Amino acid sequence: MRRFELALPRSVDECLAILSGQGPGTKLLAGGTDLLPQLKNALLKPAHVVDLSGVAELRLIQDADGGGLRIGAAVTARTLELDERVRSRYPSLAESAALVGSVQVRNLATLGGNLCNAAPSADMAPPLLALDAEAVIAGPGGRRRVPIAPFFQGVRRTVLAANELLLELVIPATAPRSGGAYLRHTPRRELDIAVVGVASQLTMDNGRCRAARIALAAVAPVPLRATAAEQALEGQAITPALIERAGALAQQAATPISDQRGSAEFRRHLVGVLTRRTLASALARASV
Amino acid sequence: MTMKTTRDVKGVGLSIPRPDGAEKVTGRVQYVADIKPRGLLHAKLLRSPHAHARILRIDVEKARALPGVRAVLTAADVPELKRKAPTRAHAVLAIDRVMFVGHPVAAVAADDPAIAEEALDLIQVEYEILPAAVDPLESMKPGAPPVADAGTEADTSEAMAHGAVAVAKTEAKPTKAVNVSQQSKLNRGDVAAGFAASDVVIEKTYRVPMVHQGYLEPHAVLAEWDRTGSLTLWASTQGSFNTRSEVADVLEIPENRIRVIPVECGGGFGGKIRALCEPITALLARAAGRPVRYVMTRREELEAGMPAPQVIIRLKTGVKRDGTLMALEAETVLDTGAFSGTVLAVSGVFLASLYKWPSFEVRGFEVLTHKPSVAAYRAPVAPQTIFAIDSHMDQIARAIGVDAVEFRRRHLMREGDPMANGQPWQSNGAHEVLDRVAAHPLWQSRAEWAASGGVDGHGLRGTGLALGGWLGGLQPTGATVRLNPDGSLGVLTGQVDIAGTNIALAQIAASAYGIDVDKVKITTGDTDVAPVTGLSAGSKTIYTVGVAVMQAAQDARKQTLEIAAKELEASVHDLEIEDGRVVVRGAPDHSITLAQIGKKGNLYMSKVEPVLGVSHPAFSQQAPAFAAELARLEVDPETGEVTLRDFVVVQDAGKAINPLAVEGQMQGGSVQSLGMALTEGLAFDPAGRLTNPSLLDYKKLTAADLPSIETIIVEVPSPAGPFGARGVGEPPIVPAPAAIANAVADATGARITELPITPERIALALASSPAVSR
Amino acid sequence: MAKHVLSVTVNGEAAEVLVQPYETLLDALREGLGLTGPKEGCGTGDCGACTVHLDGNPVASCLMLAMQARGRSVTTIEGLGRPDALHDLQDAFVRHGVPQCGFCIPGVLMSAAALLAENPRPSNDEIRYGIAGNLCRCTGYTAMVAAIAETAAALGHEETRR
Repeated sequence: MRRFELALPRSVDECLAILSGQGPGTKLLAGGTDLLPQLKNALLKPAHVVDLSGVAELRLIQDADGGGLRIGAAVTARTLELDERVRSRYPSLAESAALVGSVQVRNLATLGGNLCNAAPSADMAPPLLALDAEAVIAGPGGRRRVPIAPFFQGVRRTVLAANELLLELVIPATAPRSGGAYLRHTPRRELDIAVVGVASQLTMDNGRCRAARIALAAVAPVPLRATAAEQALEGQAITPALIERAGALAQQAATPISDQRGSAEFRRHLVGVLTRRTLASALARASV
Repeated sequence: MTMKTTRDVKGVGLSIPRPDGAEKVTGRVQYVADIKPRGLLHAKLLRSPHAHARILRIDVEKARALPGVRAVLTAADVPELKRKAPTRAHAVLAIDRVMFVGHPVAAVAADDPAIAEEALDLIQVEYEILPAAVDPLESMKPGAPPVADAGTEADTSEAMAHGAVAVAKTEAKPTKAVNVSQQSKLNRGDVAAGFAASDVVIEKTYRVPMVHQGYLEPHAVLAEWDRTGSLTLWASTQGSFNTRSEVADVLEIPENRIRVIPVECGGGFGGKIRALCEPITALLARAAGRPVRYVMTRREELEAGMPAPQVIIRLKTGVKRDGTLMALEAETVLDTGAFSGTVLAVSGVFLASLYKWPSFEVRGFEVLTHKPSVAAYRAPVAPQTIFAIDSHMDQIARAIGVDAVEFRRRHLMREGDPMANGQPWQSNGAHEVLDRVAAHPLWQSRAEWAASGGVDGHGLRGTGLALGGWLGGLQPTGATVRLNPDGSLGVLTGQVDIAGTNIALAQIAASAYGIDVDKVKITTGDTDVAPVTGLSAGSKTIYTVGVAVMQAAQDARKQTLEIAAKELEASVHDLEIEDGRVVVRGAPDHSITLAQIGKKGNLYMSKVEPVLGVSHPAFSQQAPAFAAELARLEVDPETGEVTLRDFVVVQDAGKAINPLAVEGQMQGGSVQSLGMALTEGLAFDPAGRLTNPSLLDYKKLTAADLPSIETIIVEVPSPAGPFGARGVGEPPIVPAPAAIANAVADATGARITELPITPERIALALASSPAVSR
Repeated sequence: MAKHVLSVTVNGEAAEVLVQPYETLLDALREGLGLTGPKEGCGTGDCGACTVHLDGNPVASCLMLAMQARGRSVTTIEGLGRPDALHDLQDAFVRHGVPQCGFCIPGVLMSAAALLAENPRPSNDEIRYGIAGNLCRCTGYTAMVAAIAETAAALGHEETRR
């Protein structure tokens, strides 16, 4: 790790002032579980780091208007894993949070950090995509909301400008008869990152699918929705054959690369498997 | 020479926890990185980003000028470095050529690690990139880019001591294949005729990547010079005397001017048997005039440690339909990285003579490549070799419709049968171990387990077993045993205690002398103090140092009884040691305490000699030790994920001096073996760069990936080991890759011949040819 | 570059230590406070050797900057028990012959202690997941799991007796 200066703001405004004052390349530090390894590997050598742990507002979980939830950007994965509201309303998000790293990583890693680091394999991204979440961003000009899909611009790139701060994620309430699930494949049961991750979310109505969302991680530069697969499901009764078809369409939506974590062929194969399995879980949960 | 088994006083055979347990669980034990002398400086190394390149220019001026930097070294500053480095330890700083990614080019000592890293950023190096030999099969070919400096000898001395196998006939290097650093050929009978007469011929190629030993504590060393020009090294090492000799040779200073203090070692497993960081740290300390500590980062360990070699074995066998073995042909290629260091001979012995092949031809090649060179890893080359031969035996059995255990049992060698190198197999418990694992309920119920797979939502289910072992290392050693004035014993060895051997040595001394083990203290001395001792490696600590301690304790006992005989005016033959006193058999009041004897040997003007038992043996008789492992698992046929439900290790310990400690070795070694089987591999790209230099991507098994390991100790005493003991550290790492491959084949029908057996390999194998259902 | 003053409670005692802004909590504990129990095995949060408690929760101290612990409470292995007064878990580890090289042990014990504080009756699977963030190369985990299970059972019996 190279040397840097550290700022310790106590509010969002103080943080924004520091970001505006310092040059680009200043890094925000939340949980540090992505940033510190990058600093130690000299992938980044910022002159300034801003520690967000003193900004209490970022760690709140609050009810949103209309039954949804507002989750502060610095809420830890461990909190999401255990919070009753998250577990009952958005089980796929709780499931994805529970899979991050290990317990000693989850007690530090944050939702905002996972999203802003914007690795294609970010576990908490697919559930948020499948739940139609929105990001609330603070900047010198005030606040803006960005739907989660365009939040991701490319590998390690988001819409955030150098002087902006992610404040919270707003997740709308799910309709009655909704269910969701997140599954990923990793070679080990802990400490790994996803080779492929899939989140499915279904809303049923009189035995037919009223809305479907399928989101994929680690098979494209950004987390993405398999819209053709979603459209194949919407309006239909969900049969095993239809689930198979959705899996095949999701495979086509994926553009995986081969790297030492997995070949493109294996990743494409897994998209089919995990799409089918998460759809089956989502359907079961929606039918309860 | 047969060992008498003394009665087990509170000593041999007891499961006693290690005496340093309380210190370890409270975090009070000190490792090198915990030692902080005044004036401490931190070292960082600048390492080559290229696998093979010429160094045109190095400019360190800006680095030297950075405040907080106390020393900067390149090869130009160290004229005593040998121009052509004969071993990896000599490759301290690249002189004009880098030979692997990670080869050190410059070194910095600074007040703070961050300043040292910034200093590295300021060093400018100009390279001329050269073609690199990365793939060993390509590197063997004539015309491949040469790795070694012309004229250096391949250093095989350590490999031979560690493997303790008589060197197979070595052929002269052919003049054109410049990167073949060792060759061997073993043959017997007429292989062509054997194949011609065979009904079933199977040929497969087995591949195992380089793997890292995975010790949790990275290499670490603290160096300090005193005013007289003597060097002290606090080192995380498996052999303080070996380190001293290597450092002396590299720096060209006498051994008596170097003191190596072996600090608690946070795991070695063969990766810390050679000097690596000590020479450069010593040089920085001398240049800076202050103590310097160097701790490798995990990334450095993975990129530029001393891993196990990549192994490629092409194996072809011929048998008759009735199961008669006819012929075996094999080629083993060991990718040793930039310097020679593999134990080539082991492979031939296990391939061709673990089972009795009447005719065979086995060739071995050690090949240099532009990658970090190897040291050893717990039973070097044995797990990879057994992966090949045991997987193959399993396949042959299936092909001819014979029971897997029965087929092995029928052909498994016995004591006296010839090894591939012509020497006879020593007494061993291979058959006993195989029989014991075959009797296990998990093996007996394997058909029911398989039948329950693939139904009711279960994955595919299978069971597999494998047999392997280690020939046992040998190295001369020494020990002394001293009677203290309070009647307790002090034992001195130079043995680094990395496996809990100290408690076993205490038990041996206690039993051999006739005293309770809690009255025995084992001291591991540094190189100034201890008798010359070899590596804590090769499963030879108890087998060799144990003998030395036992003989020294027996010597001390003899001296004690002779003194007592004079004092009690009795015959030595009528004396016993009981409860801290020497008594005349049958006359319990006629006695003298050990304390009295101890005091008499230390009184002013006393004519009684102090009791000092001494032993300094060398050894010639190995004691092979075998282990069998059984895996019961379930495979998700769509994702390829393996759930290991049960795992059993059956091992011949000869005599379990401390069963608790032996079980620990069996559990730990088998989990390393499972890592090699399921998840581990150093993955190099075509340019020789490591693509997984972190523990995120170099995957070691977690507690959540494993079941509890069941251990069964079998005892077939060795003729020459202390109380019949055999080495226990290495056998358990050997069989798991084959056992897993056999279990996966049983479950799915897919035969994987490349490690690690990842979910991807299984899933893609099944996707292309779905599992045969039962 | 100016140092910061870190005010933090460590093992129950208030402490003030000068730290570099770029210093990790692990380094501050080890170098600044002389608490060398937590170890660096990888520096990237992948091995668990640096595990300490932050306000009672197990964290990878190599991934935290020291100043992120300001105003909070940190417990290291040195705060779990002493050689003359071992915590039940430590005593069980010794009796089961768990420590071999010993390097992973402080981290494992901190994870195990946190597990039992949150879940006094863990199943074997829960124990294994509770220490799954701690890599061990020597033991294969079997004796650790047995020691933790035994401790949990013993503590459970004590609770029932009260």
